[in-house]
Amino acid sequence: MANVDTQTRGLSSPSWIERIPAYYYFIGIILIAMPVFAGDFVLFQIFGWTFILGIISLSLMFLAGYGGMVSLAQMTFAGLAGYLVAIFGNSAIDTISQGWPWYVAIPLAILIAVLFGTIVGWLAVRTEGIYTIMITLAVASAFFYFTRQNYVVFNGFSGFNGVLPPELFGIDWRHPVAFYYLTLFWALAAYFSVVYLSRAPFGLALQGVRDNARRMAALGYNVTAHRVAAYSFAALLAAIGGILLTWQSAQISPGTAGIGPAIDILVIAVIGGLRHPIGPFIGAFIYVLLKTFAIDVLISLGLSGERFQLLIGLGFLVIVFWSPDGILGLWQRLQDSRGRDPLTGRGRRGV
Amino acid sequence: MNVPPPNSRMSANGVGNALELRGVGKVFGALAALSDIDMTVRPGERRAVLGSNGAGKTTLFNCITGDFFATTGSIRFFGEDISSFPAYERTRRGLRRTYQISLLFTALSVLDNVYLACNGVSRGRFSFRRPQRNDAVLESAEMLVRMVHLENVRDTLVSDLSHGQQRQLEIAMALSGAPRFILFDEPAAGLSPGERRELVEILTNLPSHVGFIIIEHDMDVALRVAEFVTMMHDGRIFKEGKPAEIEDDPEVQALYLGGEGRG
Amino acid sequence: MGNFAQRHPFWATVIAAAVAIALWLIFAVWPGWLVDLIGSKKLFLNALFNGITLGALYFLVASGFTLIFGLMRNVNLAHGSLYLFGGYIGYEFANWTGYWLLAFPAAFIIVALLGVLMQLFVFQRMEGQELRQTLVTIGISIVFADLLLWIWGGDFYNIGLPSWLSGPMDTFLITGVSRRTGEFLFLKYPMVRIVIFAASVVVGIAMWLLLNRTRIGMIIRAGVDDRDMLAATGVRIQLVFAGVFAFGAGLAGVAGVVGGSFQSLAPGEDIRFLLASLVVVIVGGMGSIPGAALGALIIGTAEQFGSVYFPTYAVVLTFIIMVAVLAFRPQGLLGRA
Repeated sequence: MANVDTQTRGLSSPSWIERIPAYYYFIGIILIAMPVFAGDFVLFQIFGWTFILGIISLSLMFLAGYGGMVSLAQMTFAGLAGYLVAIFGNSAIDTISQGWPWYVAIPLAILIAVLFGTIVGWLAVRTEGIYTIMITLAVASAFFYFTRQNYVVFNGFSGFNGVLPPELFGIDWRHPVAFYYLTLFWALAAYFSVVYLSRAPFGLALQGVRDNARRMAALGYNVTAHRVAAYSFAALLAAIGGILLTWQSAQISPGTAGIGPAIDILVIAVIGGLRHPIGPFIGAFIYVLLKTFAIDVLISLGLSGERFQLLIGLGFLVIVFWSPDGILGLWQRLQDSRGRDPLTGRGRRGV
Repeated sequence: MNVPPPNSRMSANGVGNALELRGVGKVFGALAALSDIDMTVRPGERRAVLGSNGAGKTTLFNCITGDFFATTGSIRFFGEDISSFPAYERTRRGLRRTYQISLLFTALSVLDNVYLACNGVSRGRFSFRRPQRNDAVLESAEMLVRMVHLENVRDTLVSDLSHGQQRQLEIAMALSGAPRFILFDEPAAGLSPGERRELVEILTNLPSHVGFIIIEHDMDVALRVAEFVTMMHDGRIFKEGKPAEIEDDPEVQALYLGGEGRG
Repeated sequence: MGNFAQRHPFWATVIAAAVAIALWLIFAVWPGWLVDLIGSKKLFLNALFNGITLGALYFLVASGFTLIFGLMRNVNLAHGSLYLFGGYIGYEFANWTGYWLLAFPAAFIIVALLGVLMQLFVFQRMEGQELRQTLVTIGISIVFADLLLWIWGGDFYNIGLPSWLSGPMDTFLITGVSRRTGEFLFLKYPMVRIVIFAASVVVGIAMWLLLNRTRIGMIIRAGVDDRDMLAATGVRIQLVFAGVFAFGAGLAGVAGVVGGSFQSLAPGEDIRFLLASLVVVIVGGMGSIPGAALGALIIGTAEQFGSVYFPTYAVVLTFIIMVAVLAFRPQGLLGRA
């Protein structure tokens, strides 16, 4: 699978603000003005969910695309943060929830999730690359089974409900319009931080480690430390996504971060494309559309509405077969055939 | 048979030497790739390590840099025992290396490659901030690119460079930071005669405090830049001496040239 | 082993002590204070042997998984689906013919065939692209899981055992002393589990012999060591790959029949056995059959002891073992560094 396109005239390029192509601004304006013409369902359920899943999948893309490490534990980090917000903050299960104020509960939840991510990263990166999938999958399943069996802290099978965002500035953040802007804000923050980071020394070193770990070690880099640090950052992104996810459905249970959802995050990232941070959001959008409307599609095809997984699986297989770089890869090929740079839309400048 | 190089300052704990190998050996399963290597290199010395294929030259380099650990023996770098240090620790102490087959970051540009090299031995390795225009590391990277005459391809992807340019970039990577000692593994491989002349020029113009060991098959290049030669055979040091001595040595000729040109 | 004892005297003594204690626990009559402390010996023996037989089942599944990875560097995450599919096939076949034993060859052949098709039409095209192959196996497992759910539904299936296998067998292990007569009481253990354990041992030994004493085994071991070198020797490497994949898949299918016989088959078992394979192989070492055996034994007994003695935290025990191995010996207990 191809490397991430880092727009490699990297360090010597003009500042990134100047390089954003025109149509990004156009999309940005549409996104900001969306509540004007979209209904509550679209804002909350379609876009809100897209941004949330996009953030979590972005954390996977960061590790896989820039770091060469495919982690199936991203949903676990997200789920852990969501659980911790319910445990430290307020929920309907007041025997467990501590009721601490949001400015304590939220940072603490994120901190612990990042710590957990760092430890998992340390366990996963010291072996050959292909093992990270196995190890992170094992971690994800252990988390699922543990939260399902543990009633003292995680409330077992039922999990927590009634987990609501704090009423900051007097706004009910679960109101569709407010929630839309909340998730949009964090999605943009996540996206731009990854884009910026990819060309900072940290991101550059990470890509070096991906391409040639041996050389990086010989250049003076502590390869293990860089990989673990990447996991920490990815866990941060996932934690933010997890908290938003918990607020969206106002509940969290073992199934939220189960093995199915963990793999779905990978599916989303791959379908969108691991080459550029916009990929996970594209993949998330497609996934959310499918999940929302697939039942109708299936029934129109004469199949039971339950065959959603079959549809997703087949779609995933088709993408991996014909365009391993996902939608972005298809887009690239289209642009290549028209002689244009795929991310800026300008005509190719040649070497 | 080890002839100490002339004027070597061998104090009791060898602090005066840049590189000191004692009894170094490397075993892969049943194969002894290196045995009984005793070698002393002074700071600033230019040494060539020659030998036929399979003599163990690259294995020797790999042990010194820490790509793998030697099975036996000790390695001291400027008096410090680095035998158990991981590769990045050795690099941070001033050791550098180029590779027989260029190990470059093909998806990144020339400048990015050199920047990574310079950054590896500086403090900003984990920095989240993009380097500003007057960043010291970025400037030294630019300077290095100019030094190896690659400034006109500075933004080109490595995968789009010619072979000779890639080899030049390899050298630039090895010169990053403040190297005290460099290991060049067959730097002339695949270069045209003109490029070889440039290579010799770069090597001879290195600062005098920077010592190096060069592995080469091209005797011309090796004997022109080296003050002292170590010949290896079958994982052992076979002979050491000045370039002229080695060139005329009958045993060396027998080994290398199959008995022709005696005397 | 003598080598190991020489180089790691501390661990060798620890292991020897543990084995000695275990042997005493198994064969001796337990004193009263021990029974008060951890429960009856019967409970202990049952947990131990259930763990060992579960380990045997895990070994069957995990060895196929590790063989496929060892040779073809393909993390086959569809392995659990092959297990479940084999189990269902075995069930149908056993019902159709009325003979339990026939379920085995049926499952083996059909799943092995599926494996050959997967290797030839899918994985061969992605030679060298490890990540892509793994992604494909994920996709296959998603599709398969749903197809299996569609065809066989969500019920629990149990493959009926023939009469000569059902029922308990008398063993020579003492569980206690009868209060009435003062004679020893002996453990009764389900026959089917003993037979399955014996069969797994036979399969394991057969695999070891195949890998270490035959020419084809030598080729496979050489391929695990250095695939490119093997191709350079002129061996028809794609045939070897297809054969190994088929064998690994068939083994998973057979394991499905075994699991369906003394446990049950249902959606979700595919994930469970995939995860078990993962953990077993992480603990035992990738690409190593003895590693799979050791890992399976450890994980199987840990799981059983966990569910008997600390039921709410059984998962934690297995997880702790995996984390410990990853932290201190990332390549697995018998894996190569």
